Amino acid sequence: MSSQKTPAPSIVKAYDITVKSLKRHPALFLPFVIFLICDLISLAALYLAPRAPFIKLFGPVIRTFWGERFLHYPLNFLLLPKLASLARMGVSIVFGSLLTGMAVAIMYNIYNHKRVIKLSEAFKLALKKYLYLFIVVAFFTLLFYFLLKFIPKGLLYYFIVGRHKQLLFLGINFWLGPFLLIVNFLLAIFIQSAFIYAIPLLIIENEKLLGAIWRSFILFIKLFIPTTIMVTLPMLFYVPIVILQHKNAFLVYRVFPEIVLLISVLNAALSALVVDCMMTVSTTVLYLLHKENKVS
Amino acid sequence: MFKSLTAILLISISLLLTGCGEDQYAIERKYWHLQKQAEKIFKNPKVSPPNELIAVVQLFTDFANKRPNSSLAVDAEFTIVRLYLAKENYDSARAKLKRMLDKYSKYKLICSESLFLMGYTYEADKKWDLALEQYRRIMREYPDTRRGIDIPIYIAEYHRTKYQPEKMVAALQEAIVHYRALAIRFPDSPVSFTASILVGECYLALKDWQAAVDTFDNVVNTYKDKAVVDNILFNMAIIYQRELKNGTKAKEVLERLIKEYPKSALAKQATALLGEWSKK
Repeated sequence: MSSQKTPAPSIVKAYDITVKSLKRHPALFLPFVIFLICDLISLAALYLAPRAPFIKLFGPVIRTFWGERFLHYPLNFLLLPKLASLARMGVSIVFGSLLTGMAVAIMYNIYNHKRVIKLSEAFKLALKKYLYLFIVVAFFTLLFYFLLKFIPKGLLYYFIVGRHKQLLFLGINFWLGPFLLIVNFLLAIFIQSAFIYAIPLLIIENEKLLGAIWRSFILFIKLFIPTTIMVTLPMLFYVPIVILQHKNAFLVYRVFPEIVLLISVLNAALSALVVDCMMTVSTTVLYLLHKENKVS
Repeated sequence: MFKSLTAILLISISLLLTGCGEDQYAIERKYWHLQKQAEKIFKNPKVSPPNELIAVVQLFTDFANKRPNSSLAVDAEFTIVRLYLAKENYDSARAKLKRMLDKYSKYKLICSESLFLMGYTYEADKKWDLALEQYRRIMREYPDTRRGIDIPIYIAEYHRTKYQPEKMVAALQEAIVHYRALAIRFPDSPVSFTASILVGECYLALKDWQAAVDTFDNVVNTYKDKAVVDNILFNMAIIYQRELKNGTKAKEVLERLIKEYPKSALAKQATALLGEWSKK
């Protein structure tokens, strides 16, 4: 192992290769299109949850966890983004893990062999590693979910049970409002960045599960700035959506309830075709460039 | 691949089209959009033109007629009455309410609400005696409905807002008699429990503190095994302390609250209050 420090690959070069690859080989989009379709199907089912025949499946769950009122118009739209986000977690773990693996395999072949492998070939490659991919995606998705649950609960405990009026000179409205939005966003960037190389390591390097997670974290520390930038830039597309979803009740009552569904569709499309696609492909390229630098 | 994607898309579209018929959800959706139309009139009743009222009333009437078995049909009819009220069209409101009383004569909740609105049309029209007639009818015919229980206090409250203290006192005394009779008429029921508490509330409004705590004490002893009465005990303690200046009795009641409802949120407040009072 060389004791010399490997120079960090250029972000501009990584983005250049990413954009050119996506332009020349639209097949790279396919795994993300399939993910979008899965996401839209789950969204459609959730939108139809208060209606027959879906109410038989979703009715008891919604009634138990959130209450009967969310099975009626227009209150069902207040719950829709939350349900859609939970469903996306499930879709990401079950299908997203496999599809991201496929996308990494396709990009690796474009980069190394200048050719697009067949989707079935990429599928076979990713399927061999499905269990590991599933565990990796489940790990960081659930980590993100539980951290997000813990922070508001901690704040509520501080303000309501502890009967405090302020925290660092600011009231409950700030901490449970804009602060939570910012924390959610920063947490999403951090967790994505820390484990983003796990899938390329599993697919390209045939790493074992724990080794992939650990090396991904080490690589994130080594390539801290380029990785953070490459994860943050696509995630900025989420900002308007996050703000709109924060104003959900206003949109339902002041504009029209169905706008929530439109925003959720837009969110799904943006998430699959822009954010996930750019993030996965560009960080795979960054990893490959880093590997190349290391060898040379 | 393309074929399977097309198949998935077709399945999604057919899923979206499922349930496009008029189920309960579709009725709620339609009604919500109607309410949005009514909101325009409610927001600015004096500015909205008469033909707008006619058009919206027609929409609500059609809605109710097309779906006679929906609970929203009744709501739609009440919205029509409220629209007439907002436009100060009292005669139309009363005519509509009369039709509703005939149509829903078997449903006491709808009838009590209709009678209340009928009374309110007179009240808004500055015809209090006629309004009172309707309110008394609710007390007589539908005493165990929510409106029937609330109305005696509503009458007293009316006199209070009009600065008529003698009439207010008379109304409160009448309410006490009414609630006592109600508690006897519906023994061991939620109506009896609520009526008994309201007797105490009337004494509080009359500033007859001793009668109020005696009534609450009676409620606690009668219902302690059937209902949670921690809030009544807490109120009793406050009355003893602040109004009757009987600190010993107040302390005794709070200690009873802590002993009988140790997990209640009010038990914590009671402990804090006891600490505060002991410092004094």
